[in-house]
Amino acid sequence: MDGPHDLGGRQGFGPVDVDAPPFRHDWERRQWALSKNVAVGYRNIDHTRWILEQIPPAHYLAAPYFEKWCLRDMAGLILAGQVTLDEAVAGHATTQAPPAAPRDLAAAREALKANEAVFDRPATAPPRFAPGDRVRTARAGPRGHTRLPAYARAAQGTVTAHHGAHLFPDACAHGTETAHHLYTVAFAASDLWDDADPRDEVRLDLWEPYLDAP
Amino acid sequence: MHDGPDPTDAAAVHRHLHSHLPSDPALRVKALESLAVEKGLVAQETLDAWIRLYDEEVGPKRGAHVVARAWTEPAFHARLLTDAAAAVREMGCHGHATGHLKAVENTATVHNLVVCTLCSCYPFALLGMSPVWYRSNAYRARAVREPRAVLAEFGVTLPEDCGVRIWDSTAELRYLVVPQRPAGTEGWDADRLAALVTRDSMIGTQRDLGPV
Repeated sequence: MDGPHDLGGRQGFGPVDVDAPPFRHDWERRQWALSKNVAVGYRNIDHTRWILEQIPPAHYLAAPYFEKWCLRDMAGLILAGQVTLDEAVAGHATTQAPPAAPRDLAAAREALKANEAVFDRPATAPPRFAPGDRVRTARAGPRGHTRLPAYARAAQGTVTAHHGAHLFPDACAHGTETAHHLYTVAFAASDLWDDADPRDEVRLDLWEPYLDAP
Repeated sequence: MHDGPDPTDAAAVHRHLHSHLPSDPALRVKALESLAVEKGLVAQETLDAWIRLYDEEVGPKRGAHVVARAWTEPAFHARLLTDAAAAVREMGCHGHATGHLKAVENTATVHNLVVCTLCSCYPFALLGMSPVWYRSNAYRARAVREPRAVLAEFGVTLPEDCGVRIWDSTAELRYLVVPQRPAGTEGWDADRLAALVTRDSMIGTQRDLGPV
């Protein structure tokens, strides 16, 4: 989707606030902990991102970062049928459930390690490309979730690595778990933007369906 | 009952929430916490433990020890560049977003800079919570397009023959920049070296590290 989240290369945002700490408010810490510990019924990580990307565009650009995580989790609970819209707006449940078992620091430490998810899967077809190959990216973006940024569409680059098959976000976000070959592709910055420095390059990790021979 | 939106349409649910929730983000988060606790989806003690874990244990020091060990142990350096996910697992600092970690090394002619233009992907278990600027619209928009201007805002100027290699974290691979070992640190052990390695140098918004 050509949504507000696809920020690469967009202009007008002004300087980077280089001195900011990781958290500015306690509610941000709280939301970080909520997002990592509440059992929201997301299908997978791609579904999670897809829900966040559908925050209304003007609010997406204006909202503090962790507020977007809050809205995503709220919407995720509603979409999964765990919370009703009325409950979300009221901020309280109309039906109570037995309390969740608490985790202490040692259990949190283990949960962090156990969160080391892997996304590679057995390949069902041989790879079309190999390191050194020139490729061209797709011109059009899909209506749904995708991880091919707009700035890197219809561009030519060179494959620098093949990572085997990884779960394909464009399908997984919408409930179909498939995997495709994943490659790192290097683009000369000057092939993406006319005013880029010719010494620079941008590398992206891109799935085979985004790529074609040039 | 609301004459509300289709509760299976994410965009419609978002529009409804945005117009009906209190506007203060702190109150929105409070509402989410109340709901999650009442529904038995999380315990408040679990949230407290997670916050404490990140405050006290998980942060850039972990990455700094990985980098310092790579500077002092050639065999570990080789393992880190070949399979960084396994190398950080070996040091016990694996977890959230390190399953497909890649280490990319700065050289005299290449400076690496990491961004996630589409969201805010970051190797959390290794570097802790990302800095606010990493998640900002400005950094996400500009790092790919005008990396040298962004680096200048961080006080970084590059040698004339040095290119910038920007890594946009579009898949589940995550990137750790291995900065160059500073001159004048010959004979230092890994613990002493680790104190020189900053969070920003492992993202790429700092280049030169120095013995202070």
